Amino acid sequence: MNPVTRIDVKDLVVRYGDSIAVNGVSFTVGRGEHLTLLGPSGCGKTTTLRAIAGLEQPSGGSIRIDGQAMYDAAARRNVPAEQRGVSMVFQSYAVWPHMTVFDNVAYGLRVRKQSAADIKTHVERALDLVQMRHLADRPASKLSGGQQQRVALARAVAFSPTVVLFDEPLSNLDAKLRAEMRVELRELQRRLDITSVYVTHDQEEALAISDRVIVMNVGVIEQIGTPEEIYNRPASRFVADFVGSANLLKGRRAGPDTFETEGGTILRIAPGGPEAGAEVAVRTAYIDLVPQPGDNQLPGTVRQRMFHGDFVQYIVECPAGRLIVRRPPVNLLDEGAPVTVSFSPEHTVLLRG
Amino acid sequence: MTVDILKPKLNGQTIVSLAVILVVGFLVLLPMVFLVEESLNVGDPMAFPPQEYGLANFVSIFEEDINVLFNTVIIAVMATVMAILIGFTLAWILTRTNVPGRALLERLMELPYYMTPLVGALAWSIIAGPKSGFVNQIWKAVGGPGDLVDIYSHFGIAWIMALFEGTVAFVMISASMKSMDPALEESARVMGASKLRTTLTVTLPLVMPGVLGATLFVFAEMLGSFAAALVIGIPARIYVITTAIWDSTLSYPPDYGRASAMGLSLFVVMFAMLTFYRWRINKGSYATITGKAFRPRPMDMGGLAWLLLGVCILYVALAVVVPVGALLLTSLQRFATVILSQAEWTFANYQTALALGPVRTALFNSLLLGFGVASVGVLLMALLVWIIYRSRIRGAGMIEYLAMFPQAVPRLVFGLALLWAWLNIPIPIYGTLWLLALAYLTVMLPLGVRTLAGVVLQIDKSLEECARVCGAGWLYQMRSVTLPLLRPGILAAWLLIFMACVRELGVSVFLMGPNAKVIAPSIVAAFASSGTELTAAMALIQTATVVVALVILFRLTRGVTKEMS
Repeated sequence: MNPVTRIDVKDLVVRYGDSIAVNGVSFTVGRGEHLTLLGPSGCGKTTTLRAIAGLEQPSGGSIRIDGQAMYDAAARRNVPAEQRGVSMVFQSYAVWPHMTVFDNVAYGLRVRKQSAADIKTHVERALDLVQMRHLADRPASKLSGGQQQRVALARAVAFSPTVVLFDEPLSNLDAKLRAEMRVELRELQRRLDITSVYVTHDQEEALAISDRVIVMNVGVIEQIGTPEEIYNRPASRFVADFVGSANLLKGRRAGPDTFETEGGTILRIAPGGPEAGAEVAVRTAYIDLVPQPGDNQLPGTVRQRMFHGDFVQYIVECPAGRLIVRRPPVNLLDEGAPVTVSFSPEHTVLLRG
Repeated sequence: MTVDILKPKLNGQTIVSLAVILVVGFLVLLPMVFLVEESLNVGDPMAFPPQEYGLANFVSIFEEDINVLFNTVIIAVMATVMAILIGFTLAWILTRTNVPGRALLERLMELPYYMTPLVGALAWSIIAGPKSGFVNQIWKAVGGPGDLVDIYSHFGIAWIMALFEGTVAFVMISASMKSMDPALEESARVMGASKLRTTLTVTLPLVMPGVLGATLFVFAEMLGSFAAALVIGIPARIYVITTAIWDSTLSYPPDYGRASAMGLSLFVVMFAMLTFYRWRINKGSYATITGKAFRPRPMDMGGLAWLLLGVCILYVALAVVVPVGALLLTSLQRFATVILSQAEWTFANYQTALALGPVRTALFNSLLLGFGVASVGVLLMALLVWIIYRSRIRGAGMIEYLAMFPQAVPRLVFGLALLWAWLNIPIPIYGTLWLLALAYLTVMLPLGVRTLAGVVLQIDKSLEECARVCGAGWLYQMRSVTLPLLRPGILAAWLLIFMACVRELGVSVFLMGPNAKVIAPSIVAAFASSGTELTAAMALIQTATVVVALVILFRLTRGVTKEMS
């Protein structure tokens, strides 16, 4: 993480009437970092983002950008959205239908009273970034969804903001376009020196485009970490379940690095982890059906095989319970075949109780 | 640890909110307070405040005016039955069958509403009046004995009400037919049910709540209907509650106590029915009727489709073409006759209508009021809508409720309430155009707020938020984003209010002064005192004004939908 902190959110609380949407959330975003807030709908991720933008008024905590308090409950300070100097890409794109593509992108520059020549240069540069320059004069109402998305992106970066907020920008696109835009977005983040906070409920998207991921649930943070940390070392049952797919085995900690399942099987687990815990998570992709030295090994039987194309999913019955196992679609095993389930202690992660 | 909410943002907001509530409340609720008080006045009916309170006015409704109640109910029942039959048939044809020219027909169905019941009643008195009515003229010419039809009857009044005020039944029933998921019917078909069986066992039961709701709604509206009962009922000495209210204010001395008691009772009955209706709708006992609009697959009717087209055309003919034709024919003759060989053609009626001082003034006043009220009203209502739906101000719900309240009161009763209130409020605007303007503004609140709210709610909030995040202040955001997006909606609301003002009758009949005449009550007065020929010309001039506004509106809304799609 970059040592210079750009955004600093402390103990943020946002209420809607009696319900609490965000309940004491704290994190920082470093300069040039790409942070993603990930969680199911209603977890408070969008509310947090909108609070940073100044579109929601929090009821507690503080938000600082470059050291300046944008919101501070103690100091009773709340800077209106238009004076925060951040930029945002909206879920609905929010491309103004009564303007041309050029006018849309130029908006932030015009608000800042730039000269016509500067506006032209900046708008063209922004449109080039999203390959939309040839459509500059088109009315925005005559654009496809993907094109509107690009215009929204160009508009958000045209006035060279240091912070760009993304509110599920890809969720309205179809799957193929979404995958393409993901690649472009990552590219764009690299080329421009911007700090971004990105909100999504799509875990794949979050892992793919972020430097760090914050997993949220019911208004609080479950885990903060790099995509690899989140995937390989989920801290809680919620994270293990929500990000990727995992087998969850109930039981109890049996020693410094062992775990006893409810069926009495002893598993070696990854070192560290919480003191107490009644569950371990094993990623479905990390289970082998051929014994590997040094692994936890259990005898089992294939109960069901489902061919998914990119992988094959087996349900294997073993002493620790039913395990879901995903393997590359080669060397297919038949239903009923005896196997040895094998997974490394490193990938047997004790979850927070 | 959480810190408590920042001190509620005073107080500009609270003051604005309070001021708006007070002003709207003054306009909307105060007249009703006056009405309630006067209905309990059993002393001198003109005394204010009343010297004696009692329930005698209410009791006398059941003692002296029992025949009025009887007429009201029987006419409302007949009109409702006809309106629902017509509405159901047309809705079914236009949503569920492959009748040719569906899109155009659907647009035509709106026309009777814009004809106004007043114009419709005049036209039908020309078509089906005894002796000189066109139908009876033809009947006589072919040697028929006596009169074939007589519009001056209970049935006649109900017929006109059904034709010109029943269009809402069509709108409501077709909405409930459109909102049914076609998969519900398709699954019945897949299970092996025939077309007929599907219709009887699935379609009808599902549409039934919608039809019952529409019936209740239409019946309540019919109880408060005024124009047809005024034009047809008074010459025929058939009084319903609305005309009885009006009549009591004309007697000497005016019996405002009796009128108020009747008006209040009518309001309470209608309000109860409409509240019950809304409660049923909100309860949503039929989850299949969602807000989602489906386009049900139309049934292939084969050759029968042409017959159904004929039914639609017949309706349009009875409700639009024939009435307008009859008015036109009448207005262009010296003495109205349908036997064209005897006709004496002339433009004199139009010349008289436009040259006659009172008529010209009334027309001018109506247009003036239309322009003024629409222009000022749209600005005020836009502000109201913004406060209600976007400002997050406390009390926004209260403001919305107040603004929509005049809708719950029959127009005529509201007119009576305003009359009594402004006779006694010590601001000397009674009998002037100012009072009419204020009254129009008040009764147009629901129309304007609803129209503008529709547009405001359609504008994605993030369009505005995005402008703020891009660095625009409130004013710049309003100027560059909100207002340009609202413009078509504001124009549409302006035209709707303008039209509604030009055709306004229920409030105007009470508040019009000798020096502040407006067109719709003048048409009624002309019908009672001068010939039908002149009245027809006046009615057509009024209709033409509304039609011009309507054409502009259609142009506009079509342009908008094109742009948005």
